[in-house]
Amino acid sequence: MNRIFYYSNKLILLLIMPMFITYGDILCQDSLKELDLFSYKSRLKFGNHLYLEKDYLRASYEFREYLKYEDNDTIRFKFANCFYNIGRYLEAADNFKSIFYNSTIQDESRLAYYKSLFFSGDFNLFRNSSRNEIYLPEKYLSEVNRLYFTSFLMDNSVLPDTANFISAFPDSNKNDIRNFYIQKKFPQYKSPTTAALLSSVIPGLGKIYVGNITDGLTSFLVTGVLTFLAIDNFNHKHSFRGWLFTGLGAFFYAGNIYGSAAAAQIFNAGVKFNFDNNVKLYFEKRNYFLPENNL
Amino acid sequence: MIKSIIFCLLLVPTLSKAQTDWVKWDAVEVSYKISNASSKNIITQKQNTGSGIISFLRNIYGFFISELDGDNCPFYPSCSHFFVQAISESGMIKGPLMFADRFIRDLNFFKGKNSYPIHRIGKFYDPVSNYTLNEQMIEIALSGNGGD
Repeated sequence: MNRIFYYSNKLILLLIMPMFITYGDILCQDSLKELDLFSYKSRLKFGNHLYLEKDYLRASYEFREYLKYEDNDTIRFKFANCFYNIGRYLEAADNFKSIFYNSTIQDESRLAYYKSLFFSGDFNLFRNSSRNEIYLPEKYLSEVNRLYFTSFLMDNSVLPDTANFISAFPDSNKNDIRNFYIQKKFPQYKSPTTAALLSSVIPGLGKIYVGNITDGLTSFLVTGVLTFLAIDNFNHKHSFRGWLFTGLGAFFYAGNIYGSAAAAQIFNAGVKFNFDNNVKLYFEKRNYFLPENNL
Repeated sequence: MIKSIIFCLLLVPTLSKAQTDWVKWDAVEVSYKISNASSKNIITQKQNTGSGIISFLRNIYGFFISELDGDNCPFYPSCSHFFVQAISESGMIKGPLMFADRFIRDLNFFKGKNSYPIHRIGKFYDPVSNYTLNEQMIEIALSGNGGD
């Protein structure tokens, strides 16, 4: 009796299980149909998720699809901001333009437009737009003004007037900005011509002028010893050795003049590199005096 | 008197720095990778008389001195490679001047580690491009600007 009961239970289970599998699948499919992953709302949700995860490239694809069906300022801003965050600044600037009018975030998008132009590295375009007051955000005029003056520290344009330049920045940072301004206007460069001329007068002096003191002293010693050997050999009627040392001395003398000019150039490149690096680090640390983007 | 001073000046660095059987220099990590044949003889790619002579001299130096003496130049590229590169990139007038300058810098006992950036192979990085008098070609590394 027990055995019959046992087998009948198994049989029922065998019949019921396929039913669960079949209907379960159908139920799932129905729920998926209701969800529709490719609807514009789902794309928006997924886009927002990707945006929060900082997967900006994929987020931009989702936002683009969403914007085909529904217009939304915030999403337009996020869409443009995706390009900004992945370093496609000119594309970002173009997309920010679509929210310049009749929007509650038009000032934010105009500021973002200027930020995009600034970080694209095309400082002439940025300054021309700023100077001609194209799409200037009324709410963030001082921020754009600061970016305008900062751009002069980052390329080789002629610096504007000191008073206007420094007054654009907060009081607590004015001393640093003044130092940067002075360093940019009067860089501590060494003249390659002066270095070469100094080395032609006294071998090695050009290198000492550039700051390579031990190189300069070595040049002086090498040239001096070779000159002495040349004179000494001529005095002792060893004309071959005399000319040999004369040739070597002249070779190193000329090489030292050339090397002094090259050392001055390397020194100048180092000064420029350090200045650019310091400016970049200083402004990056302070987020270029820009407000945080909360969108 | 002066001759003996010069003799001593030459003798002291020779004795203090020369490689001997009893005090050897620090072991250099040897790479067993097959070297690129073209980097050994750069100038022979250009077939003209001047470059042929320089190439010949460099090969003579490489065969009789460099290969026997070992990898002792503290710079990268080494002085002989610098010479060849300088001439191939800047010609027969600027190239030797660049080499003369490099040779004097190599003689400087106090070059120190702060003067030049350190290349990944552990040598002072001093490329030819820094000495062509072309500002755009200067490579600046974070470890220094070339000053002492």
